Amino acid sequence: SLNPSTAITHELHPLEHSWTFWFDNPFAKSKQAAWGSSIRPIHTFSTAEEFWSLYNNILHPSKLAVGADFHCFKHKIEPKWEDPVCANGGKWTISFTRGKSDTCWLYTLLAMIGEQFNFGDEICGAVVMVRAKQEKIAIWTKNALNETAQVPLLVVLLIEMDVWIALMSIGRQWKEFLDYNESIGFIFHEDAKKLDRAAKNRYTI
Amino acid sequence: AHHNEVAIGVMGKKYSRDFLLTISEQCTDLPAGFDKTSDIAETLLVAKDSILHFADRESY
Repeated sequence: SLNPSTAITHELHPLEHSWTFWFDNPFAKSKQAAWGSSIRPIHTFSTAEEFWSLYNNILHPSKLAVGADFHCFKHKIEPKWEDPVCANGGKWTISFTRGKSDTCWLYTLLAMIGEQFNFGDEICGAVVMVRAKQEKIAIWTKNALNETAQVPLLVVLLIEMDVWIALMSIGRQWKEFLDYNESIGFIFHEDAKKLDRAAKNRYTI
Repeated sequence: AHHNEVAIGVMGKKYSRDFLLTISEQCTDLPAGFDKTSDIAETLLVAKDSILHFADRESY
């Protein structure tokens, strides 16, 4: 009963990177003393099929409990400021009213795992943070000072003699993927660590 | 050699959103090795029974 088309359907699609889902359980938070001690890796995946097997079985942001943080980070990068890859980084953030981020969260994940970002090497991962009145999605990048990768509408690169390409930066592409027209801000982790909520956007696009 | 120097935007396994969406329907079961018993799984997994129940109630 096996025909060529069935064989094609079941072929796995390996991803460029392995990714890990992490969850910060709001019910565990109150019981834990140290911040960050309740955050745990859920599962690591490296094919598109595995991604969907997870995604199709886990609650989407609108159904998660208030206080939950759900992360999807490149394997071996921990979604923490202290992680050596993240330490000098920062994040782009978009806020949604409660219950309205599901589609944008999925599109963010698909753009990351499908390597749709021109400067994808700069990306650590993404997080959706569920709060009482809003849901926030953030993309964490590695080098906060690398403005070229984050901000410009177009970055022109010389590939070889007389061959140039123009690429959109992470922040601009993200807005395009989500069809999001409001301005978004980029906060340095370093500022967030020192100033908490008083940290100001270093870039706005 | 020049091509290797510009890794940005040209290398890697790329999949468009539309393509990835076409795979979704064939992947309904949790991956092998997923720990369904942890407390986190309890909080995070879609409870199939409750969805069915909800759907039943809505259809009346």
